[in-house]
Amino acid sequence: MKFIVNSMLGYWLVLLLFSCIVAGVVFWIWLKDVMV
Amino acid sequence: MFEFAIAGIQAPIFLLMITGFTVGIVGGFIGVGGGYMVTPALIVFGFPGYMASGIDIMHIAGKSVVATVRHRQLGNIDWILGLAMVGGTMMGVEMGVRILNWTKALGLSAIALLTGSVVIMLGLFIYTQIETRRAHKRIDEISEAGVTVGRELKATRFSDFWQSIKIYPIVRCHVARIIISLWVIVFVGVCTGVLAGFFGVGGGFIRVPALVYVIGATTHIAVGTDLLEIVVSAGYGGLRHFMSGNVDMVAVFWMILGAMVGAQFGSIATAFVRGPAIRYILAYSLGLAVVGAFFRLIYLLTGQQYMFLNLFAVVFTLGEMLFLCLFIGSLVLFAVQYRRGKWVPAWIPALVVKED
Repeated sequence: MKFIVNSMLGYWLVLLLFSCIVAGVVFWIWLKDVMV
Repeated sequence: MFEFAIAGIQAPIFLLMITGFTVGIVGGFIGVGGGYMVTPALIVFGFPGYMASGIDIMHIAGKSVVATVRHRQLGNIDWILGLAMVGGTMMGVEMGVRILNWTKALGLSAIALLTGSVVIMLGLFIYTQIETRRAHKRIDEISEAGVTVGRELKATRFSDFWQSIKIYPIVRCHVARIIISLWVIVFVGVCTGVLAGFFGVGGGFIRVPALVYVIGATTHIAVGTDLLEIVVSAGYGGLRHFMSGNVDMVAVFWMILGAMVGAQFGSIATAFVRGPAIRYILAYSLGLAVVGAFFRLIYLLTGQQYMFLNLFAVVFTLGEMLFLCLFIGSLVLFAVQYRRGKWVPAWIPALVVKED
């Protein structure tokens, strides 16, 4: 974990991936709620 | 879900508040309104396009007041620079809108506009990223030599040329510590205003780099001063949209509720970091916005057939907002850890300020 965090690019990629996954999940939950 | 009577739709209040909160953090930190992130999100929530723009610009005006007050307390506003630029920007925006109307009458399509804004954002991203990496390396080298580095090193020498133009009146910007011709400030304001008016954006992501690389202000001053300018331009824009019936004030209220808190966090976070950290976040927001806009462009160019492209663009835009907030939060967390002498990644010391 420290190895990834120690590299700025690695940290950046992991954080972006995590954010997109969370956004995707939230969006999918909301979409399921909205779609008839 | 809440019934928004003016917009004529139902939308989740929670998502509006979260959107306002995340964009508030980013906007308070890098000095942008965040319209290029919020407007697509509002359209996804179901607001009609014209109303998404109106709600967005109205919420930007409110959020920017909060962020400006906080930045004033942090000493990041140069009033002379800000107020001189406001005049030029308002003129430029009006010119930009008229040029847009003229080109639309000649047959310029929405796709061409989107392509143009992608090209500009891409260019700004590449330049800012390269310059910031260079500054990051320089700070590392200077620190290793045992010299104490302040909050900022000079970004480029390009600003020396503009500061050397001696057309009266020449003003002394005390907070920004520059002496520059008033006409240069107005000219830069007009140019950024034309781009903002033409592409229909607030222009913060153009104006902050202009203040740093052309005028020669430090990044913190550029952020605070730009937010002051956004209060005026977004306030005027919001008023015009309101008069045109493009604003659902209830939706604005919920967004500002989140944005007011977010803007505080974002503004205070600037006190923990050096200039290059803010420029990194600005570059990332531009780069990621280009990716989202690129997918949207492909979706439009393929005749809106492939829905997954549009959905991917939306998820990426929402993910980008969360990513930027998490990155800003990480910078503050690492800054606090660094001050306490704990372990931080190797790339952190050059980006954060050790003492207040």
